[in-house]
Amino acid sequence: MRATAPTSDPPPARTRTVLGLEPRFVAIGVAGGILSGLLGVGGGIVMVPLLVIWAAYAQRDAHATSLGAIIPISCASVITYGAAGEVHPGPALALAAGSIAGARIGAGALSRIEERPLKIVFGLFLAAVAILMLVRG
Amino acid sequence: MTGIVLVVALVAFGVVTGATSGLLGVGGGTLMVPFLTLAAGMSQHAAEATSLLVVLPTAIVGSLVLRRRGIGDLGLALRFGALGAAGGIVGALLALALPGHVLRIMFACFLLLVSVRLVRDSLVPR
Repeated sequence: MRATAPTSDPPPARTRTVLGLEPRFVAIGVAGGILSGLLGVGGGIVMVPLLVIWAAYAQRDAHATSLGAIIPISCASVITYGAAGEVHPGPALALAAGSIAGARIGAGALSRIEERPLKIVFGLFLAAVAILMLVRG
Repeated sequence: MTGIVLVVALVAFGVVTGATSGLLGVGGGTLMVPFLTLAAGMSQHAAEATSLLVVLPTAIVGSLVLRRRGIGDLGLALRFGALGAAGGIVGALLALALPGHVLRIMFACFLLLVSVRLVRDSLVPR
């Protein structure tokens, strides 16, 4: 049953938000995107450290949030690159077939892994990316 | 690599990048782009475009698995990512105007510091 809306209640007090996000998260989202576009690395490599260090996210939540945030980011990028017509559909299909299976394994592992080994694995991954960036310039 | 060998290699590499992506919350482009240029002989530009097309379904599947297990907040992540996408456009435009080489070296050093901190944090008992 839909009651007529009680109009006496004041709207709940709230801080100013953008898309329902607190200012700090807005800053990290935008900064993450800018850095990622500027440096040519994926959004996750930028966002996970920012979420952990600046937003005091637990490691696991930072990884989950980063993965979700990659959806709209890669959507935008696919549209931009798709217009350039450079996509090779065959290899993309083969890779995606593997990576969709892999994503289920990886996400399942993220939901079970302890904070400490996750930090170590991600730390080593970042070190490898950093070395790759330095080597390739 | 050509033919069936390449297809098998691509699927196998896809499993590795997908698992990395799901576990670490990254897209996987960092791994895929060098692989596509080296193993599949693609140009840098084509490798980047192709890897992006793989990142999207991978991130969707990984996020759905995590959501089902109650980890993270997908709604917040999507809004967060929308801002990131807007920032990415700004960043790409800035990259044309700024010395990318210097920035990449600075960022690589930042990543090294973060990695040292992460490993140290997890090894030092509290």
